[in-house]
Amino acid sequence: MTEKNDGTRLDAEAVGTLERVHPKLPRVAAGVERGTVSRREFLRTATLLGLSAGAAYAMAGRLTGEPFAPAARAQAGTPVAGGTLRVSMNIKEISDPATVDWSEKGNELRHVIEPLVRISSDNVAVPHLAESWTASEDLRTWTFKLRRGVTWSNGDEFGADDVVANFVRWMDPAVGSSNYGRFSALRTSNDDGSSMLENGVVKIDDHTVEFNLRVPFLALPESMGDYPCLIAHRSFQGGNWVENPIGTGPFELVELTVGSRARYRRRESGWWGGEVYLEGIDYVDHGDDPAAPLAALASGQVDMLYRLNVEQVPAARAIPSLVLYQADTAQTGVARMKVDQAPFDDVRVRQAIQACIDHGRLLTLAYQNLGIPGEDHHVAPVHPEYAELPKPTQDYDRARALLAEAGYADGLDIQIDCVAQPTWEPNTSQALVEMLRPAGINLAVNIMPGGTYWDRWTTTPFGFTSWTHRPIGTQVLSLAYRSGVPWNESSYSNPDFDALLDKAEATLDVEERRAIMEELQRMLQGDAVIVQPYWRSIATASSQAVQGYAHHPAEEHHFEQVWLSQG
Amino acid sequence: MLVFLGKRLAFMALTMLAVSILLFLLLEVNGDAVAVKVLGPYTTDEQRALWLVANGYDRPLYVRYFEWLGNILRGDFGQSIRFRVPVSEVLWPRLANTAILGAVTFGVMIPLALVLGVLAGMREGSRLDRSISVGSIVTTSIPEFASAVLLTFLFVFWLGWLPGTSAMNDGFAWRELVLPVTVLVLYGFGYIARMTRASMAEVMQTPYIRTAVLKGLPYRQVILRHALRNALIAPFTVIMLQINWLLSGVIVVEFFFAYKGFGALLLEASLNQDIYLIQACAMVAVFVAVTTQTIADIGYTYLNPRIRFA
Repeated sequence: MTEKNDGTRLDAEAVGTLERVHPKLPRVAAGVERGTVSRREFLRTATLLGLSAGAAYAMAGRLTGEPFAPAARAQAGTPVAGGTLRVSMNIKEISDPATVDWSEKGNELRHVIEPLVRISSDNVAVPHLAESWTASEDLRTWTFKLRRGVTWSNGDEFGADDVVANFVRWMDPAVGSSNYGRFSALRTSNDDGSSMLENGVVKIDDHTVEFNLRVPFLALPESMGDYPCLIAHRSFQGGNWVENPIGTGPFELVELTVGSRARYRRRESGWWGGEVYLEGIDYVDHGDDPAAPLAALASGQVDMLYRLNVEQVPAARAIPSLVLYQADTAQTGVARMKVDQAPFDDVRVRQAIQACIDHGRLLTLAYQNLGIPGEDHHVAPVHPEYAELPKPTQDYDRARALLAEAGYADGLDIQIDCVAQPTWEPNTSQALVEMLRPAGINLAVNIMPGGTYWDRWTTTPFGFTSWTHRPIGTQVLSLAYRSGVPWNESSYSNPDFDALLDKAEATLDVEERRAIMEELQRMLQGDAVIVQPYWRSIATASSQAVQGYAHHPAEEHHFEQVWLSQG
Repeated sequence: MLVFLGKRLAFMALTMLAVSILLFLLLEVNGDAVAVKVLGPYTTDEQRALWLVANGYDRPLYVRYFEWLGNILRGDFGQSIRFRVPVSEVLWPRLANTAILGAVTFGVMIPLALVLGVLAGMREGSRLDRSISVGSIVTTSIPEFASAVLLTFLFVFWLGWLPGTSAMNDGFAWRELVLPVTVLVLYGFGYIARMTRASMAEVMQTPYIRTAVLKGLPYRQVILRHALRNALIAPFTVIMLQINWLLSGVIVVEFFFAYKGFGALLLEASLNQDIYLIQACAMVAVFVAVTTQTIADIGYTYLNPRIRFA
């Protein structure tokens, strides 16, 4: 490289562009050149602050001097329009888009209704129904410009009223949306039952919405990419959405039968985003037996799977007619302990359990080594603000000493609740049994059907819970470890942690934020709330006819660019 | 005969009644638990209390039971929690699917088993008898989940001749029935064939058959006119029991091939604790069990000349 280091590779005009988007952006850009900010982090921050995705990618290319190619998509030849994509996926009930709690449900909805912000398959927040956004210096006032020319399938124009109506519903505790916790910065306080700030969400004009937050919140746009944040028509106020599925998306819902199938057809009035190749989408529910979808794919009954279990990857590789997709993610499972229930209310017991764990070994035993060992703090190496801590090591002497101190010198009998499917979860729990035994901890695994586990996942003393991918590290911490939020399954409550988390969520500078994250990670580790075996990579498979599909780290289905090759 | 019929039917009704009471007690005594199932685990106590009053759970148990029974008799099983539609909308199509699967399986299995059983029993100890006996023991000993995997590997993954699942997504397809029916026939036919064989072999050694043979009757006539009717009494019971098995015992096959039938529904209902659906499925399963047994009892009187009613 011949560029000198004392200046910037960006000219004054480019710096001006960045400054207009947000005064802090030129500094982030300089960080990329110095090498202290990653290209990905720049993309994320820049698009997050309202720079268009195209401009951000181009700018990143100039900053790093590397030509940029977007995440590889399986593609060959020129797209052909037509055909129906048949996908095997469980069809779950979706009466209220605000309360969906599974990626499958999100997929059932997202072909019809869309988010303001979309998380791309390379983990960057990209404007979708929002066109751009700007944040005030203190990250407490955000102005979202909405895309013009977007129409609902009933002919209405999409606009600020729709966005405001959705936020008002989400922030009503009676609705029971997880967005209530996700956007706690919009509420008068963090307490359960608090309501939305009076000027929390304000319509400035038909295509501009202003968000006024109680506390600074960096991940506001990224949070809007989560699956319960799909924007329903302003007229939807509860009831069954499926009965009147008005949407802005590229497809229309034709039929949805829970446990059986869901069919969509391309919207005839056209989609704001341009040409859509597929004529329709046909989801088929093959039940809970993971072997059935693969058999359906192998015999040409479907074109694509929602998910390929890790145990099936070798089998799928052996079938030459299939294409495999893989994505590294922040998906994981945690063996979380209820910190206010015996024996887990004693931190020494929890620390003893942690001390027994060899994370790398768990990954090999239970997940075919397809992932990254965990560190018991629920922040992933793929997260931009991840701080590297010394790796936890297995230490049975320490475990035994801690147990003895806690009064369990003669051993401890505990039980972990765990779902039966997918199998990596009971497999991991079973591997834990063996790992805990040498320290005198007798773990029993209570394997139960998914329906039963998810009824008690927030109340069981010791449970193994899977967590989906979220693009930045503060998001899960905020959903699962902040005091009193609905998904806080461990009942962890630490005011210092909450305060630091608020601070992290308010810090734009990635280096400053990483310093805070390091503290947060240490706190979670030290308080020994979870055993987090590993971060898992996810996989799926399709027939060779499927083109233009990229596997998404949160298993989101974006099909408007997908097409089927003939023959 | 009429008295006998009346008694059987009364007994059947009584059994159903007892089962309904048991089911109701098991699933509905604790109204709070029902409210949690219906409203979801994140609801507040007030919401649950309101729901309980709105749905009449504050009334005495017996009042609720008789109302529930009345609804069931009218075909109203309540609202499915998982599917968010009336239970009957899910139940009947699923039952019809299983009826189709069962009918096709029966259509193949019964003639096959009877013919093989009779052939084997006719000449006990012959080479044909031994091949059929060993063959039927082997197929009956292989559990459905194993033969399903084996056949899928063979015909779906290796040869590529048959579809791997039977969700019938594009309407009814015979091709999709082949594998589930084959698995069920393989598992079920051996049992009936063995029973038929044993029964046939026993009959063949009776004095009246020997007499018929020695009398010079054509062998064919001895078998069809004299041996068969008596030999079919024991298999008849087994066949009637198989109807129960085909209704709720096909869970494994329906699950494996993603066939949208009653067995799979029963499993889904239990896994999701969809209590109204569980009640409906259980009532239907018990009804079919009791009905087939009643038919079997009546059938005996026709087949067995020793049972006669004035």
